[in-house]
Amino acid sequence: MRILVVDDESLNRFLLVHMLEEAGYKDCYEAENGQEALKLAEKIKPDLVLLDIVMPDMSGYDVAPILKKKAGGIYLPVIFITALDDQSSLAKCLEVGGDDFASKPFDKVILTAKIRAHGRTRELSKKTFEQKEELTYYRNSVEREHAIVEHIFANALTINKKAGRYFDYRLAPASSFNGDLFLIEPSPSGGLYFLMGDFTGHGLASAIGALPVTRAFQAMASKGLAVSEMAATINHTLLSLLPVDMFFAAAIVEVAKNGTHINVWNGGMPDLILINREGEIRKHFESMHMSLGILDDGEFDDVVEHFQAEEGDRLLGYSDGLVELTNAEEKMLGEEAFYRWLKNEPDVTVTSLNERIEKFRGNAEQLDDITLVSFYCKPLELDVSPNLTSLPFEIHFALDADKLKKLDPVHDITMMIASQMGLDTLRSDISTVLSELFNNALDHGLLKLDSDMKKTTDGFFEYFEQRLERLQQLESGFVHIDVKLDPDTRLLTIEISDSGQGFDISKVNNATDNDCFGRGIPLIREICHDVHYYPGGTRVKVDFLIK
Amino acid sequence: MSLERKISNDGKVLTIFMDEKFDFGKVQDFRNAYSTETEEINEVNIDLSQTEYMDSSALGMLLNMQKTLSGHVEKFNIINCRPQVAKILKISRFDKKFSIS
Repeated sequence: MRILVVDDESLNRFLLVHMLEEAGYKDCYEAENGQEALKLAEKIKPDLVLLDIVMPDMSGYDVAPILKKKAGGIYLPVIFITALDDQSSLAKCLEVGGDDFASKPFDKVILTAKIRAHGRTRELSKKTFEQKEELTYYRNSVEREHAIVEHIFANALTINKKAGRYFDYRLAPASSFNGDLFLIEPSPSGGLYFLMGDFTGHGLASAIGALPVTRAFQAMASKGLAVSEMAATINHTLLSLLPVDMFFAAAIVEVAKNGTHINVWNGGMPDLILINREGEIRKHFESMHMSLGILDDGEFDDVVEHFQAEEGDRLLGYSDGLVELTNAEEKMLGEEAFYRWLKNEPDVTVTSLNERIEKFRGNAEQLDDITLVSFYCKPLELDVSPNLTSLPFEIHFALDADKLKKLDPVHDITMMIASQMGLDTLRSDISTVLSELFNNALDHGLLKLDSDMKKTTDGFFEYFEQRLERLQQLESGFVHIDVKLDPDTRLLTIEISDSGQGFDISKVNNATDNDCFGRGIPLIREICHDVHYYPGGTRVKVDFLIK
Repeated sequence: MSLERKISNDGKVLTIFMDEKFDFGKVQDFRNAYSTETEEINEVNIDLSQTEYMDSSALGMLLNMQKTLSGHVEKFNIINCRPQVAKILKISRFDKKFSIS
């Protein structure tokens, strides 16, 4: 223990230090006035100060508070040493911040006992201070980590703005991280998807699963995948990621471009409800499945519910935090009360609903995250055509007999075209048209198959058997495919020519409703902006107009 | 690879799940899916939720199935179509012969 002795009398200092050394306190420093004491204290950081009251420059009464202040958060015992023995002088010692006093002449036993006692308190104070420092450090680092995670979440869990304006919604997390998740993404076909879900629990631990779900959902939405496939994929991801006691209740919904055709996969969320203009419930989309992240791929059920709503209908969804909200009287809000609000005011806004929810809750604490989502069924005007690549291109594919035997080029060429910026939305159309044109060129041009065969059920299959057979025997001939994009006119042109005999387009009979063939050409005329057969019937050109 | 199919517990409803491509390459698989052990069936669902690509030979195959089964099957449903596929079915006026959803 380091002790600072402050006294203007050198004899007093000598006696004190000598006594302290005898008592085992070898680490002693001396100061002969107040100023020197303050300077020295700063340098040596004493554990205890023995302070004289009457000194020429500063009195001990003035020095003590400064010493105390400089000691900061750790207890620095200051013991006055004094020849004064009147009550008021001694009382003042304690009033100015001193901790004790010892009267001259010193009683060795009493003084060392006091030093020991104050030393113990100093040690305790030191420990507390260190722990407080540690806690502060820990709290700061947690806060910083939270800030980083919040930043990542804010950037990752974004709701698509264009699609988002069709929704009225509110997310109210119970703590700073939300275990509820709400996402909206447009689909390539002009419709939209939304996902609302609820991880087990709330707070950071439950929010962490939101990241992989969001990424997967956004990626699948941009590809226009079916709701059932989204559910199966997210289930698969979470199953491998989450601990067994954690899962994700979710409803995944696809709304078609017309705004009324609705597909719902609901696993573990409260019913989504569809109400008409009168506030009557037309449809409950009940949870038909277990939550995501529980069942393995084999057990997983991806059955989806379809519903044709009417324009003006309203689709509402909410997390269980809403209906299980409990007020100060321990009464739950419940579905019935919520439905009643809607019945009484079918057009009630989410904000207004929220006011009612808050009013119901009153002073009670919100224990779970609350999500409330509303969508009015109406045609969607989402500009789905992304920027078209400004790079014009022409690709020529020459397929000879050998290649035709081995390859089905339709899929690969479709993928190649669709991989260009702005062309992905045409993927299905390109595939259909290319398949028609290519098969016509191959089947009728090179393989000389007759569609009339397809008139009977057996003939239908015979046709395909013959096709296979003749293809194997094919020795010469070619099919050429030319693909060209002109970004300025936004025209994608596909031209196919073959080495066959050609046919007369005017003599092709279109199918009646019952025929199993002859649908191809009318189909491409519907899909394409323009279809042109060249004289001779061995070359055809189609244009897609990219909207 | 054969197509996935499911027969309801009462043995009356057959559901065939098509995969990504529905074209002439599926002729044999599709025929097997609707002609194997289906004497008791009176309703057929063709699930197209996975189907992204379809051409007119698929349309022919669907009609052919209908012709083959029309003796004992009363209802043919095409279910879970994606918008692009629904468009093709609509252009081809398949809604007259199938219930499409």
